[in-house]
Amino acid sequence: MSLNTSLSIAVQSLNAAAGALQATNNNIANANTPGYTREVPILQASAPSTVGNNLSVGDGVDLVRYQSVRDELLQSQIQQETSSQSGANAQLSSLQQIQTVFTTSAQDIGTEMSALFTSISTLSTNPSSSSSRQAVLSAGQNLANAFNTVSKTLTAQQSGLNTQVTQDVSQINQLTKQIAALNPQITALKATGQDGGTLQDQQNQLVLSLSKLTTVSVVQSNDGITLTTGNGTPLVVGSKSYSLQTSTGSDGMTHVLDQSGADITSSLTGGNLGGSIQTRDTAISGMLTKLDTLANQFGSAMNAAQAAGYDQNGNAGQDFFTVSGTVTGSAATIKMAITDPTLVAASSDGSAGSNGNLSKLSAVQTTALASGQTPGNAYASLVYQVGSLTSNANAESTATTSSLNQLNDQLSSVSGVSIDEESANLIQYQQAYQAAARVVSVIQQLFSVTMSMGTAAAS
Amino acid sequence: MRVTNLLPDVQYQMQQSQQALATANQQLSTGLRVNQLSDDPAASANMVVSLAASASVDQYTSNVSSVLPRMQTADSAMSAIVTSLNSAITLGTSGASSSSVTANKQSIATQVQSILSSVISQANTSYNGVYVFGGSESTTPPFVAASTTYTSSQGSVANPLAATTALTAGSVTSISDATTGKTMTFKAQAGDTVATLQQAIASAAVAGTLSAGTTATINAKGQLSIATTNASQGIVVTSNDTSLGAMAADPNTAVANSYAYVGNSTVNSVQVGDSLNVATNIPGNQLLTSGANVIGSLTNLIAALQNGTESQIGTATNAVSSALNYVSQQRIPLDSTISQLNSQESYLSQEKITLTTQQTSLVGISLSTAATNVSQAQLTNSAVLAAAAKVLPQTLLDYLR
Repeated sequence: MSLNTSLSIAVQSLNAAAGALQATNNNIANANTPGYTREVPILQASAPSTVGNNLSVGDGVDLVRYQSVRDELLQSQIQQETSSQSGANAQLSSLQQIQTVFTTSAQDIGTEMSALFTSISTLSTNPSSSSSRQAVLSAGQNLANAFNTVSKTLTAQQSGLNTQVTQDVSQINQLTKQIAALNPQITALKATGQDGGTLQDQQNQLVLSLSKLTTVSVVQSNDGITLTTGNGTPLVVGSKSYSLQTSTGSDGMTHVLDQSGADITSSLTGGNLGGSIQTRDTAISGMLTKLDTLANQFGSAMNAAQAAGYDQNGNAGQDFFTVSGTVTGSAATIKMAITDPTLVAASSDGSAGSNGNLSKLSAVQTTALASGQTPGNAYASLVYQVGSLTSNANAESTATTSSLNQLNDQLSSVSGVSIDEESANLIQYQQAYQAAARVVSVIQQLFSVTMSMGTAAAS
Repeated sequence: MRVTNLLPDVQYQMQQSQQALATANQQLSTGLRVNQLSDDPAASANMVVSLAASASVDQYTSNVSSVLPRMQTADSAMSAIVTSLNSAITLGTSGASSSSVTANKQSIATQVQSILSSVISQANTSYNGVYVFGGSESTTPPFVAASTTYTSSQGSVANPLAATTALTAGSVTSISDATTGKTMTFKAQAGDTVATLQQAIASAAVAGTLSAGTTATINAKGQLSIATTNASQGIVVTSNDTSLGAMAADPNTAVANSYAYVGNSTVNSVQVGDSLNVATNIPGNQLLTSGANVIGSLTNLIAALQNGTESQIGTATNAVSSALNYVSQQRIPLDSTISQLNSQESYLSQEKITLTTQQTSLVGISLSTAATNVSQAQLTNSAVLAAAAKVLPQTLLDYLR
């Protein structure tokens, strides 16, 4: 074995140590980069060479490649959990805004409804009092306003969510384009036997961002990853991305269409988009139906009670509320039909001082509406629904956050950069480098001695 | 397990403990465990029902407060009527005695007249502008001095009313008869004329609502004149018909000691409990002109004292006695309502306490629990922060210098 071979091994060793140092350096540099997967240098002993009489000796070290330490299963679980978390958060954010209009302490429907019946009861003690009659009208107006306000808040939330759907779809389209663009680059890298490295990290990070918007299914193929929505609508196949589109449906809501124009709105789940759609089309829609039904049936019941009596002028009672003919939109449009206090139909016999019909108006409070519930109970059940939906979204958000934390801990345990570990590696590779350099220095001295051997003999 | 970075976990723990601290702090400062619906949806829904029940209880209490003094006023008035009737009986008994001379009887009659005036004044008692014995016609005095003839303000020689004169649709003309103690109410329909009204009055006279001989005619001045032939008991006529104008009693047709009831028989009731309604008035006709007719008995006693025999005075006095018994009987339900209202008031205040307690247990939190929660949350938060301060700065690099 020649000194040259030894020098060559030493230089290889220097290169390997420098390469390993570079990996460590890169790991440290990216310690806080989201989605970065730590890289480890793969060192391999060089094929041994034979010296002398069939003596086999190691031929140094090769830095074969850098390997990112991944766990695809964990990565996929994190993507799914991220979808669930974003979906829950989207619902929670909307519902938290909605539940404030259903408070039990301010000018909510329940309070105003009580106030209306209270004012009717006050009027019964002195049916001729114009101030008490005016109080009934004001309370009725306040209740109509409360219905209008809640309905307006709910529809405003729906419009806000429509905007959210449009924005989410546009972000999804951008992300799928970027993910598709990375597919051929990663495939090319892998074809050469290398690791996807930071490109794959980028792609994973983009898929994670996409998961925040909607649930996607990821399948590895020869052309890179294939992405589809939950119901199988393709988003990315190889280097090609398929854009989603939005359009306003006949119900006034923003719908999501796939590349071919088919409506896939109801099949989108998870993520901000899925959560927004679910809140808009299921939660808020359900609340609006209940609210409209209550407003419609309550208004009609009050009108029927008014019609059974006589106003202060002895005329048959007119409608108390103006109620829409159809249930849909009733809460938004309900308003007082009378503005003249004398038109409150307190009298049961046409005499101005009779209060006989007020008991019929009061009875609306305790009589079941067509829905089978009294107005108070119908409102209480709506309050329960809002509270329960919000509470469930909150619980899901907390649960998924906690679960996501654990998954991230696990992933970070596999793929994360530990500064302490890298510091130790740094020392390790530094020492390796120093040792290799020492070998070079020794060989240099040996060369020097060898070179001066002749010179010494000559002298 | 390989731990690479403690920061995310530490951040999560800090967030959790700070959230818990904020919640505990909010509960302590508001005294409420449920600050938004999602904190406890079921409690929030029950709260809606409980608050409505509370509002009802408050209202029932307010109704009791507003009805009770009115009932007490009515009771005082009835008590005064009872006293007056007792005086009238004493006077009548004295008038019926054979030793009583005519001059005395006249003097007694005058005293009974003043008793009648006093009874009428009590019967017209009002509380806060509401006439308590007027039925639902509670804004005007229910007992009005009667006259034999009422004449319309519209109509003149030059422009007389006629049978064909159209009445205003929806207008109301009412005739209260002191003899029958009843009121005929005529509400004009579209197309009705003075003739329709005349016919209605004739029918009412036949039916007995008005006394026989009550007529409506167009007089020589072209006005509508509604009159009764009964000289001892008169009528009271009101109208808001613009074609007729206001109906006024003709001068010198007032019938002495005759009063007609212009209220109605409506009994208003007010809800003072979930299933408790109380009648808030006794219509004056029920109390004073029907049954043992109080006013009629006094009028008859006066007439008997003025012109009658001792036996007639005695009979009239007995009638006043019956009227006294009748009024006393009428007081019983009123007194029972007053006592019911008093006990309902106590029940409602107890009910209010029950509901408030229920609401506190639904959404409230006790001060001690809230304070304990805050100190516990503070402790946890401090511990998390202290732990973070310990573990976060630790790095191998510190030891490699």
